[in-house]
Amino acid sequence: MLRSSTALGWAAAFLAPALISSLDALSNRPSYQLAGFLYLLAVSLAAYLGGFAAGLVATVLATLGLDYFFTPPRHDFVPASTDQAAGVALFFVVAILISQLFGRRRQVQRQAEAASARANRLQAVTARLAEAVTPQQVLDAIVTEGVEAAEARAGAIGLVTADGQMIEIVAQRGYERNLFVGWESFPLASDTPMGKAIRDESPFFFSTSAERDAAFSTMSTLGGPSHALAILPLVVEGRAIGAIAFTFPTEIEFDAERRALKATLAQQAAQAIDRVRLYEAERALRQRMTFLADASELLGSSLDYEATLAQLARLAVPEMATWCSVDMVGPDRSIQRLAVAHEDPERAAWAERLGEEYPPDPDQPMGVPNVIRTMTAEFVPEITDELLVEAAQGDERLLEIVRELGLRSAITVPLIARGRALGALSLIRDDSAPRYTELDLDLASELARRAASAVDNAGLYREAERRGDASRALAHVDDGVVLLDEEGAVVSINPAAARILAVDEATVVGETAVGSIGGWSEIEDNARPERGGTRGPVTLPLVLSNGNERWISVSGVDFGDGAVYALRDVTEERLLERTRSDFVATASHELRTPLAAVLGAVKTLRREDVSFDPDQREMLMDMIDREAERLSGIVGQILLTGQLDAGRLRLEHERFDPVALTKSVVDSAELHLPTGIELRVQAEKDVPAVAGDENQLRQVISNLVDNAIKYSPQGGDVELRLNRNGQFARIEVADSGLGIPRDEHDRIFEKFYRLDPALTRGVNGTGLGLYISKELVERMNGRISVDSEPGRGSTFVVEVPLAI
Amino acid sequence: MSASPETYESPLRVLVADDEPPIRLLCQVNLAVAGMEVLQAADGEEALRLARSEKPDLVLLDLMMPNVGGWTVAQELAADERTRDIPIVFLTARATTGDRRRAEKLGALGYVLKPFDPVRLAPLVAGVVARCSRGEAEDLRRERPPELWPADLDE
Repeated sequence: MLRSSTALGWAAAFLAPALISSLDALSNRPSYQLAGFLYLLAVSLAAYLGGFAAGLVATVLATLGLDYFFTPPRHDFVPASTDQAAGVALFFVVAILISQLFGRRRQVQRQAEAASARANRLQAVTARLAEAVTPQQVLDAIVTEGVEAAEARAGAIGLVTADGQMIEIVAQRGYERNLFVGWESFPLASDTPMGKAIRDESPFFFSTSAERDAAFSTMSTLGGPSHALAILPLVVEGRAIGAIAFTFPTEIEFDAERRALKATLAQQAAQAIDRVRLYEAERALRQRMTFLADASELLGSSLDYEATLAQLARLAVPEMATWCSVDMVGPDRSIQRLAVAHEDPERAAWAERLGEEYPPDPDQPMGVPNVIRTMTAEFVPEITDELLVEAAQGDERLLEIVRELGLRSAITVPLIARGRALGALSLIRDDSAPRYTELDLDLASELARRAASAVDNAGLYREAERRGDASRALAHVDDGVVLLDEEGAVVSINPAAARILAVDEATVVGETAVGSIGGWSEIEDNARPERGGTRGPVTLPLVLSNGNERWISVSGVDFGDGAVYALRDVTEERLLERTRSDFVATASHELRTPLAAVLGAVKTLRREDVSFDPDQREMLMDMIDREAERLSGIVGQILLTGQLDAGRLRLEHERFDPVALTKSVVDSAELHLPTGIELRVQAEKDVPAVAGDENQLRQVISNLVDNAIKYSPQGGDVELRLNRNGQFARIEVADSGLGIPRDEHDRIFEKFYRLDPALTRGVNGTGLGLYISKELVERMNGRISVDSEPGRGSTFVVEVPLAI
Repeated sequence: MSASPETYESPLRVLVADDEPPIRLLCQVNLAVAGMEVLQAADGEEALRLARSEKPDLVLLDLMMPNVGGWTVAQELAADERTRDIPIVFLTARATTGDRRRAEKLGALGYVLKPFDPVRLAPLVAGVVARCSRGEAEDLRRERPPELWPADLDE
């Protein structure tokens, strides 16, 4: 608009004075004053439209016209009088002033309009930038709008790469097609205008290409028509992230205004790039988080980890990877491909077939086998051709295939759970996607961690389910079963085991067995199987958590991930076994001693080399008699025990006098009483008759008297007392012998039970006498008990019901 | 009573320790006819006392005795320098392998199980004493002849 008004101004400058001058030809031509006024209007119009220069031209023409045509003498340049000359001069001065006035006004307006236009251009740049969505669109918009705003022919943006070493040309417009071939990226340190502008963070302006070539000799090889050149650093937060270059169609002097415009453009561009980078980073982060959240949800959704991992691989494409594969370690340590995903299912199927054709070699120095073996991630930001050649391991066909794939960048991360590599997750991008960064590696590692954990959990759950079935079965088993994990912690314990070990299931599960089960360290020492082996059963005396000592039979089976122990409480069996074997030993001993005497005496008497005198013969005969009696007594006890056990003993139910019975027992005992022992009977008057088996009660009393004598090795009194106690006759047999500890009082009545030899000082016995006595008395509806203390003698009390 | 054909320079003196009088009597009768002198102890205490004071040529030792048992007697005799070399032959009714093994460990020269043949007792005793006096106690322990170490145990 300014340009057209300038042209009008120049037209006005020439035409308007000429038009007014032509009024001279009219018959009624204007007066000298009116003409002057009209000329001033023409000058004003010219200056208004064309500026000071046009005003000046119009002023000169108008002054000449006024002087020649309208100032008398007319058609003559020389004024008639000094007044008229002064009038023309005054006109000239006024016209000049008007021209100046309008010229300056016009200049101000022009500047305002220029500023507004610049603002409009920048606004257009901003608007375009705001519309741009992807980083590339933003860069393209910056170049396009920047070139236009700068009134340049072409423009380019170069950005410093992430490693800070290179400049990459990320957008350009207007240059010849081949200009940047070989210059897609170049070192930041290079002797180039962009390199220097970025390094120095200051712009370069070259008015001509010669100037540029003089400063940067390398640029002279770059062909194409170029004239003026402006290169400005893109500065964000005080740091140059790149540079923008503008090439102009003509040689230009860069005045302050132009430089300021370019600087503003560069600033705008820098901010836009920064903004889009931030946005991009945030978007990538959000995308990663969304991906991770989706992946986590997926991983948690199912226990079928094979299907889940295959879905996970599909979830990763195409956003995270062009190709995604999951490989798992099989039970035989081989590596099996679980899934391959690609956006195109046909491509995925093709890759799967390829994987079958080229199964992974576990010793492969890189890739999945290496990642699984070393349990460390492999990160290849840039897949080079050398790498492909190495990976192909001399297989030309494979090399051709992988070259065609155009693989760009790869991440392989191990799936590790509880210190074991379960497999590996591989992410590969081709040329259509950006290279992986450290952030992607972090994401992949996190994904792998979650996937491994899910796989492991699925495994544990299956195991738990399996054990759950097992434990339901084990709940009904009488044998104790304890399952420990590798670390020796209790995984499960069935009710029988909890009962046997005197522990509460809830308090030991999850704890170490050694720490939570009393006596387990003994089991650990004696029954712990080797890895994969079995051990036992062994029978161990264990001091349990409740302080009891029990004999437990244990066997252990190790199954690699832990061990199962089977337990049985054999305390009762063992006690019985022990008393039984004790009985065999005791009975053997008890029988052998009198037998030795009888047999020895017979053999001695039958010696033919010796003749004994009658006294000696009598002594030996006597011995045979007595010891044979003793033998028969012991045999009788054993037989009686057998009858009692079998319930085959029938007792008489008769009425008899307990006092008379007691006296008769004492009388027969007196016959072979050891020296130092005295027997006494104290009977209350009128002890009533009792009801029972007289012969068996005689056996009982006799047995008690024998014991009293036997356990009084130092001699002493044995007193028998009789009295009535309610509906019972009470017979006490009291000695002053060795005595019996209190806690043995019940046990001495048990079958085969014998006191510790230290307490009996070598006194022999079958361990049957008191058992038989108790059985007999109880079968007569009576009772038997003992009151005794070591060193203070014993009093056995037998109570038999009175006869009605 | 007539003397046996075997004669000794001086009569062998045998200590019989057993709480059962019939056993002591059998030993007494049968060893005496062989010209041996028999010392009798009814419990372990008495046995130790007699062994120390009388230095018998051999001890026939019962295991189950009141007060001090046969094991203790054997241990104490072995621990005492004065009695260490007296040969010990157990004469017992305890017929378990454990007891027999324990007797071996204690350095006994025999483990005669009751019932035993008292007629064979004198030659048995004489044989043991003869070999021990020739310094062959160790050989005898190693040989473990069946008449001194019966195999027919309860277990």
